[in-house]
Parts: sequence; C-alpha cells; structure tokens
Amino acid sequence: MKKRFCLSIVAVALVLAGAVSAADESVFAKANQAYNESRFKEAADGYESLVRAGNWSANLFYDLGNTRFRLGDFGNAILNYERALALDPRHPEADANLRLARDEARALELRKDWIERYAGMATVKQYSIAAAVGFWFALFIAAQLLLSRRRSAGRIAVIAMSLLVSGVSIFAIYTLENGTRGNALAVVTGKEIVARLATADDAKSVLLLPAGSEIKILSDRGDWIYAALPNDQRGWIPASSAERVRL
Amino acid sequence: MFQTLSFRSAIFPRAALAAVFAFLAAHHSWAANADVTAVLSNSNTTVGQPVQLQIKVTGSASAKPPGEIAVDGLDIRFSGQSQLLEGRNFQFTYSYIYNYTVMPLKAGTFKIPPQRVEAGGSALRTPELTLQVAADSATAQSPRSKSSTSIDPTKIAFVELTLSKTNAYVGEMIPAVVRVGFNVRTPVESLGNGAEITGQGFTAQKMREPRQTIETISGRTYQVFTFKTALSPARSGKIEVGPVQVDAVVRIPRPNSRSQSMPRDLFDMNDPFMDNFFRDPLFAPSTPQEIKIKSEPVLLDVKSLPPGAPADFGGAVGNFSLETVAKPKSAQVGDPFTVTATITGRGNFDRVTAPSFEDEQGWHKYPPSADFKQDDDIGISGTKTFETVLSANERKEKIPAQLFTYFDPAKEQYVTLRAEPIPVRVEGGAAPSAPTAPASQAPTAAAPQAPRAASQQEILHQLTELPAESQSFIPLFARPTFWLAQLIPLLALLGFVGWKIRRAHLNNREARRREALQHEAAALQRSLRREDVSPEEYFSRASRAVQLKTALVRNLDPNAVDADVAASAFKMDEATRTRLRRLFEKSDEARYSGGGNGIRLLPAETRNELLELIDNLRP
Repeated sequence: MKKRFCLSIVAVALVLAGAVSAADESVFAKANQAYNESRFKEAADGYESLVRAGNWSANLFYDLGNTRFRLGDFGNAILNYERALALDPRHPEADANLRLARDEARALELRKDWIERYAGMATVKQYSIAAAVGFWFALFIAAQLLLSRRRSAGRIAVIAMSLLVSGVSIFAIYTLENGTRGNALAVVTGKEIVARLATADDAKSVLLLPAGSEIKILSDRGDWIYAALPNDQRGWIPASSAERVRL
Repeated sequence: MFQTLSFRSAIFPRAALAAVFAFLAAHHSWAANADVTAVLSNSNTTVGQPVQLQIKVTGSASAKPPGEIAVDGLDIRFSGQSQLLEGRNFQFTYSYIYNYTVMPLKAGTFKIPPQRVEAGGSALRTPELTLQVAADSATAQSPRSKSSTSIDPTKIAFVELTLSKTNAYVGEMIPAVVRVGFNVRTPVESLGNGAEITGQGFTAQKMREPRQTIETISGRTYQVFTFKTALSPARSGKIEVGPVQVDAVVRIPRPNSRSQSMPRDLFDMNDPFMDNFFRDPLFAPSTPQEIKIKSEPVLLDVKSLPPGAPADFGGAVGNFSLETVAKPKSAQVGDPFTVTATITGRGNFDRVTAPSFEDEQGWHKYPPSADFKQDDDIGISGTKTFETVLSANERKEKIPAQLFTYFDPAKEQYVTLRAEPIPVRVEGGAAPSAPTAPASQAPTAAAPQAPRAASQQEILHQLTELPAESQSFIPLFARPTFWLAQLIPLLALLGFVGWKIRRAHLNNREARRREALQHEAAALQRSLRREDVSPEEYFSRASRAVQLKTALVRNLDPNAVDADVAASAFKMDEATRTRLRRLFEKSDEARYSGGGNGIRLLPAETRNELLELIDNLRP
C-alpha cells in the first residue's frame, strides 16, 4: 500500500514537471515567434517571464538581449548578454552581439589587469575541476608514497606538480571571482548615469556612464551603490540605475 | 512698586495664605501643594526701558522653569535663577526664583500669557501679566531727547568700496573690497544681509564671512568688517558699481540714562560719541536701532573683447597655464583612457571649459568631469581639473594634442595653449585610418555621439533551443553537488589506503614464514653434515629439508610436500626422482617403524649421496 502511494506521488511529480517544462517551452516558442514578427516588446515580456520563473539559460538571456537590442535598450541588452556569458563563458553568439551592443551604446568596460587576462584563458568551472583533480591526485600519490617502502623522486615531483596545478587553479578562481567579471560585476541600465563623489544628486561628478557600462559594486548604501568605474576611479551611483549580472 | 499676581494669593488674604502654607508644610506635601507666582517690576514702561519679570515657585523641592517666553513687541530673556529655603515652625519650604529681563520694542499694551512651570511632578501655570508700554520716553520728555533718535548714521558708521582697477575687459575678474566700520561706542548687533553691491552690468561673486578688525580712523575707534569679492563686467561701456548698502542694527546709548547732573556735550551735536565715561555703552543702558549706510559708487570703464577670437575660445579671461596627463599608457582597442587636463592661473574660472582635442578621429570621447580648487578667498585664482575619458576605435600611438584658448587682458590678445600629444599604445583592432576630416576645434566637450539605429546592425539570430535543465549563476566550486562529488575521491582514497595497509600486513606475514622456513632448512642442512646422527633421524631430517626447499620454491605448506611434488617442483629426471622417493620411503619407514634395524650410523657414502641430492635441489 505504502509502496503504491509513493509511486503515485513520484508519477504525479513527473507529470507536473513535464507540464511545467512544456509550458515554459511554449512561452519560449511564442516569444521567439513574436521576435521573428518584430513584436519585440511582446517577445521581451515572454522571455522575462521565463527569467522570473527561474528557468535560466544562456540562450534565454541571449535572446532577451537581442530583443532589448532591437528595442534600443542597449543597457539591458548588454546586461543580458553578460548574463548569458556568465552562464556560458564560451557562448559565441552572446560574445559577438555584446561587442555590437557596446559599440552602439558607447559603453565603457572595466579594465582587466594582466593577471585577470591570463586567468581568463579558462573558466571558473574548468579551474574548479582542475583544482579538485590536482588535489586528489596529489593526495593519492602521497598516500602511495607513504605506504610503500620505496621513495621515488619522480613521485615527489608529480605530487609537487599536482599541488601546483591545484594552487594555481584556486588562485585563478579567486582572481576571476573578485575581478572585473566576478561576482560584483554590474551593468549600468540607466542612460547617461553620473557617478558622483558622494551620495547626493548635486555631489561632484566623477564619470558619466553611458548605458551598458560595466561597474564593479564595492558596497551598497541604501539607494546608492559605491562602485569601481571603468576609468579606475570609484564613485557613487543610484542603485536603481545598475543591475548585477549574476542573479 | 511690584504688581503681584497669583492664582491663589490673589484670592486669599496674606494671613490665610500663611495658614495654608503652614498646613501644607505640616502635612509634608510640598510637591502636591506647590505654588507659582509671577510678578513684573513695573507694569508701566516705555520703549527701550526694560522691566524685570520674576517667576517664583514655592513648596516644591524641584522645579523646571518655562522655556522661551515669546511675546510680539517684547524681547524677554532669561537673566538668572536663585533658590530660597524658608523655615517656619520648624517646617522648611523651598522656593525657586527665575528672573527675566523684558525689553519693550514698541509701544502698546502687551499681555504675557500664562507660562507652564513643572514643580514636583505637577504642572502649574503662572497668571497672565499685563505690561503697558508707552512711546519712547525720550520723545515725551524733552525735545533734545527726541532729536537723539534721529542720529546721523554717517557719524557712527561708514562703508567703503574699493576696486583693484577701474579699466577692464568684459568677463575679466576684478577683485573688490568692501569695508564696513562701526564706532565701538555703538556696537553693531547685526549686519542684516551683509554688504550688497548694487548696480547693473556686472556680476559679483558671493561674499564670504567678513574679516573683523579694530581700527582707529580720525581719532575714533571703529570695528571694521572687510568683505572681499570679485566683479565681472558683463557689457562694455561705463558701468557704475555701487553704492554698497548695509542695513545694520547698532546699540545706541539711551539719553535718559544720563544723570541730569552730568556734563553735557560741549558742542551739543547730538553726537553720542561725545558723551562722557558714564555714557559708555559697556556700562550705560542702550537701545537697538536699525541704520542704513551707503558707500560712494565707483565708475568702471569696460572694453569689449577684440574681434577675431579663435574657434575654441570659450570666454575665459585671465592668465592660465595648461598641463595634461593620461593613464594608462597602453590599452586594447575600446579600453578607456583617462586624460586629465589641469588649467592653473587667475581669471574667470566659471568660463574655463575643458580643452578641446586637436584631432578626435578614431576616438570616442565622453563628457568630461570638472573640479575646481581655488587658491584665494574670492575664487579667481586656483586650479581647474578636467577628466575626459577616451576610448580608441583603432590602433593608436598617441592621444591627440589638447588646445585651450583664453583672452589675456594684460597682453590684450588671445592666447592658445597647446598640450603636446601624449604617447600611448593602443593594441588590437584595425590599423588606424587615414585622416579625412579636419581636427575638431569645438571649445567645449562634445556630447556622446548618438547611437546608430539598431536596425542597421547585423546582430546574430535568435537561438530557439532551451537546455533540458536550467543553469545557475552559482560557480561550480560554490555548489553543494561539487562538494558532494568530492566524497567519491575521498572514499577511493580511503579504500586505497586501507588496501595498501592490508597488503603490507599480509606481505609481512608471508615474509616471516619464508624466513622461518629458510632458517629451518639451513639448520637441517648443517645437521645433515654431522656424522653422529642416527640413520632414522638422518632420513627424517633429509626428507624435511627436501620439503622445506620445495615449500620455499612453490610457496606451499612443507607438510604437504611429498616426493612427487618435490620432483615436479625441481623438474628432476627419473633417476633422481627414484632416489627422492626412496629417501621419503626411508624416512616414513624410520618414522612409523619405531626402532632402528641395528645400524647405528649411516655410511658416509650414503650420507654424501643424500647431501648431494639435497644440495642439487634448485629451481
């Protein structure tokens, strides 16, 4: 009796999941169709409903970015391309269209230092796997070395190399997560936002930020955020005028 | 004469009041029976003649006086408090007395409303008081006193306006100094809105707080306020600057405070400074009075700027210098450069705009930010810094030169400052295109270029596939599944370590067993060389030696080895195999048959033969 009840629950859950998935695909298809028929506002609403539902994917954000681009909302277009690249750093279409949107909006980019440029050769996911593999490999070889009577210089060298790979990977992860493309990356969605020296509308300006410009959020204070700016300076901008890339 | 009002004492006679006080004191109920009175030292006075207001709280060990007492036409200020402890019939009563000075500012009948006083936790209210204020007593008392109110302000104060030059160009900044002096015998209470330069055709900087000094001019001592500002003519021609007007309130000594016996001013000029020591305002009562004083106007001759101004002239007049720096020194195409232009000097900084770039082709320029730091009090000398963000569209080797033009009134000509191009390195992107347009000479920062129409862009197509599972922005290392997955190599490592330890343990046991067997075999072989061993014992030992050697070769239990096993282990020929069988038979015979057959020692030949057989057992 109990087994039958559990099986029923599983079956209902699978049916519901399938129904939800089918509904999402239907919304996605309708949004695509609206886009193809140049009903960009309708398409954007459809894509954004999927985003709100948490059904995130690089393709969804890419399509939403295209729609925003067509609507002339370059700030949100760039934001969504960035989100697509945050989910899939090797998304070629998002990368290409992001360049076009930046060119259109004259958006400013945060400057990467050389460490971050080199670290960017691989993704955080790849570094995470490399760090784990290097660590465990070093641990296995070390265990073997300790439990055998033979001391091999080759094995010690392999351990050192594995630990080095793991350490470099962890450093790269730290660099990327705290760098310009990391967790604090945000995009200016408002138009011609002025970064200021203080949290007041009449405070002295630091930099005028076109829509789509990148900033790195350093701290939040009520309606204002303190951010690192593309010109290597720092300033306050209204919190409502920028959005974090990572949801 | 005191006019005394009390909401209780006004009702009851004094004797009854005393009885009530005694009764209250006997019952130790001060706080609950506290009393408050309020009196004026005089209920009739004149404008400028102060009276004293006294509020007395009795019967409470603690009291809180009223806050500010506001009555239109009266200036009421708290002047102090005192405490009184009165004893009567061995009962003691606290009294708190609060004193106020009431200065009538105008004539009329004024009512001081009831004031709330807190005493011993309860709230009491004073009675309403009435004060009759007549017009200034001086006006009613004597013609001389009346004349004293119409004091000539020029005798007690002065205003001066000084310009650093009276010939200037339109837009040129001209430092100006305004000095306002008041005789120390008529101290100034308020300067109103400060000094205001009236006139048309020029603008004036906002004046800062004045500097105060004490100066002696023509034998009189003045408190002098010095205001500094700068004027900027807005049109050419003759411009009248000023007069400067100051509305001030000064304290004029009251004439009626002087004793009639005091000597009078010899010249009777109605001049308060001529009064004697007793008229010193520090000691004599005085009356606040508003006065208006003006300076003489100054004529300014203003010339127009000469024609032929360069295109990038933005209206700056003065004398300036220009410096520029850029950072970083190298970048990729599209990366921003921050160019900082610093303009230092003296002039109308509000008209100093960001320098223009000589050649903007191949660059995106964003509106600059400006920051001004003045070196002086009036803001005509200092440093203005502009930060402009540029990004290159193509490979570049230098940031273009910057130009800033101003008019120098000393040289009477336009001057264009040029900051040299700044070497930088822009990598990536396309090679620089040949210049096709003349350099932009816009005097002000260009606004960002309008974005092109989106429809002109060839953005890539929509993607119509959604992955089966939604993706997450959480990086892999921060996901629980990643750390759960680490359990797999952890368990594998633990298993590997356990296996290695078990294997080592087993290897250790086997090694010890083999060592024991080898040791036993060696001992047997040594004993076989001895002659004093009985044949039964000898055969037994020899067969045991064969079993041990075979067991070591085949890794077997020695007891399980027989002649055939040993023969096959060492791959013996048939003759040797037969000899080996005979050895095992002899050994079994000796072991199971009990005693010997009478032969006590084995022949040497037989012994050597067996030794040779055992020595030749090699795999």
